[in-house]
Amino acid sequence: MTHTINLNHITKIEGHASLHVKIKNNKLTECKLSSIEGSRYFEGLLKDKHYFEAHEISSRICGICSCAHTVAATTAMEHALGIQVSHQSMELKKLLTLAERIRSHAAHLYFLALPDYLGYESALAMVKKYKTEIKRALKLMKLGNLMVSVIGGRDMHPVSATVGGFLKIPTKEQLNELAEELEKLKPDAIETAKLFGSLKQQDFHNDCEYFSIYDEKEYGMIDGAIMSQKIRFPNYDYLKFMNEYQNEYSTANFVSRDDKSFMVGAISRFNNSFDLLSDDTKKVIKESGIKFPNNNPFINNFCQAAEMIHAFDHSIKICRELVPKFEKPIVPKLKACRGVAAIEVPRGILVHDYTLNDKGIITHANIITPTAYNLKNMEDSVRNFIPTVLHLKNEEKINIEIEKLIRSYDPCFSCSTHFLKVKWDRT
Amino acid sequence: MQNQKVRKLYTIQSGLKKMNKPKVGIYGLTGCAGCQLSIIFNEDEILDLISLIDLRAFPFIKEKNYDEEFDLVFMEGLVASANDLEVLKKVRSKTKILVALGACAHTGCIPAYRKWTLKENYEHLLYKKDDIIKDEDPSPIENHVKVDFTIPGCPPDKHEILTFIKDVLKGKTPKTYNNPVCVECRRNNNDCLLIVGKPCMGPITAGGCHSICINGGFECWGCRGPSGDANYDAWIEILREQGHDDEFIKTRMKIFAGLKMEEDAFKILK
Repeated sequence: MTHTINLNHITKIEGHASLHVKIKNNKLTECKLSSIEGSRYFEGLLKDKHYFEAHEISSRICGICSCAHTVAATTAMEHALGIQVSHQSMELKKLLTLAERIRSHAAHLYFLALPDYLGYESALAMVKKYKTEIKRALKLMKLGNLMVSVIGGRDMHPVSATVGGFLKIPTKEQLNELAEELEKLKPDAIETAKLFGSLKQQDFHNDCEYFSIYDEKEYGMIDGAIMSQKIRFPNYDYLKFMNEYQNEYSTANFVSRDDKSFMVGAISRFNNSFDLLSDDTKKVIKESGIKFPNNNPFINNFCQAAEMIHAFDHSIKICRELVPKFEKPIVPKLKACRGVAAIEVPRGILVHDYTLNDKGIITHANIITPTAYNLKNMEDSVRNFIPTVLHLKNEEKINIEIEKLIRSYDPCFSCSTHFLKVKWDRT
Repeated sequence: MQNQKVRKLYTIQSGLKKMNKPKVGIYGLTGCAGCQLSIIFNEDEILDLISLIDLRAFPFIKEKNYDEEFDLVFMEGLVASANDLEVLKKVRSKTKILVALGACAHTGCIPAYRKWTLKENYEHLLYKKDDIIKDEDPSPIENHVKVDFTIPGCPPDKHEILTFIKDVLKGKTPKTYNNPVCVECRRNNNDCLLIVGKPCMGPITAGGCHSICINGGFECWGCRGPSGDANYDAWIEILREQGHDDEFIKTRMKIFAGLKMEEDAFKILK
């Protein structure tokens, strides 16, 4: 007997995706996670464009991580053209990245993840009972947006960062105001981490490699080696170690290593760079009792929340220490070249890889987003997770648990390629 | 001809009646979710706003979505797949006022540049697809259904979205802004980027954005589509004098809103 359940719209994720599950005699026989987002072919559109156009075009890949694509594209071009940007430019790029981490995590944690745990259909439905929490989310998002506006010129698809530097430099007064605002709202970041540390999580283990950008001086930011608990390699060698492939049921590419899936994101950053987190972050983690390294993907939500404290501390440090001075972006000498940037963005590693000809025209572009890295692992996780919840009679309950698992990866299907559809097929 | 194009931003025929708790839907087709986020990014006003409307569908942040009928729908994104087209047509058939939210819905934005991209540039990204995700020609939503109002921009000014909703609630006809970006740019005391050699599209682009990109030091790329009285020939001459070749100029004109420019705009380009 075939039992089929179609759960249309697993909502509350960024972009459209679907899940197809087949169960025969209480055994899982098929599990396919796919993106059904329309294809936009960004890498094809970038071909034949000038080196200074890539960041403006690629930022449109994603609204929730537009800073990420801007920073990755400009950094890859700088690497290709041999530009060493100033300390100031680097610090401003980091601020953009940190600002986005704050607003993206706040949006994901409160608007997409938390309603599942508290039994609501949406954050909006929670307003009556949880007004403090929702207002806190909005405050944190507002702060992130303010930071992006001050550094990047506008809060979405920032414009001030360019290849070789920044077109507009914030004033010391603006940075001081940001530092004050960050200090004022830091308790909200701490409360967020405490809240997510207190949520009851499924006991589930995902035995895989956890990859992140590693730099011995600084917790996961821009540049550094790509590493897991097993291996470390230079970021420009990513193609040698990772395999990108396509599936006909999905418009997003999958990525694997030695035919095995791996995970990127806040949990991977914790697993690889825990010592580099700020003292206040470590304190809250210790109080939560959650141990690292950790291989429970549900814990990624807590990692995002705790990581916000670190993002506050790092941002405050930059805003307090940086004394901005006027400088123009460095103009490159054109040559045939290739440049790779691998940076940590809210959902994990983002790679931009460009080849230019001697006129500065892009002849090849390759972009791998965190969701592309995670897609196979999400699928594998769901496959391993379903048998642990099959005893639940109520299929709706099973679905909620699966959705929770998928949302804990914070997938962004716009990036990788919107309705997540769970199709049950039970025989 | 040009004016018609601008007026197209607004086609609500019979005027609006004051609405009490209108049934609202917020949807995304193929896009980056940035326009939907721009609604939420009205952080100080969003909760009050939600209390004034009956938000029936917003799959991005809501689990339970009801799509029986809508007074007002904000549609983000362009049509790029068979699924997009199906969703768009279904929602249109149930909606009184359909708003194209943002550049993808309005002009097709960057993804519509595929139209002018050599197939060999993206061939390696094509693969066998299930029917639901089969490609459609990238196109703005008005190519497929009637659009009642357009809020342009990549992304739209978030306050503009708020003002629009307030106007609809009050039964006031929303305003459209037809001046080129330069009008606001001058008011903001920016140095003219054309004078310093940047290929700024301000003179030929519809404003209403408070010249936000130029305020941030970056030239306008034309995301809000052509302004009503654009003098393309004069603008193209300036870019040529700056040393830009025709190929570059053509690409710039097409990248955000190429589908909204008449062929005439390109006639003096080689």
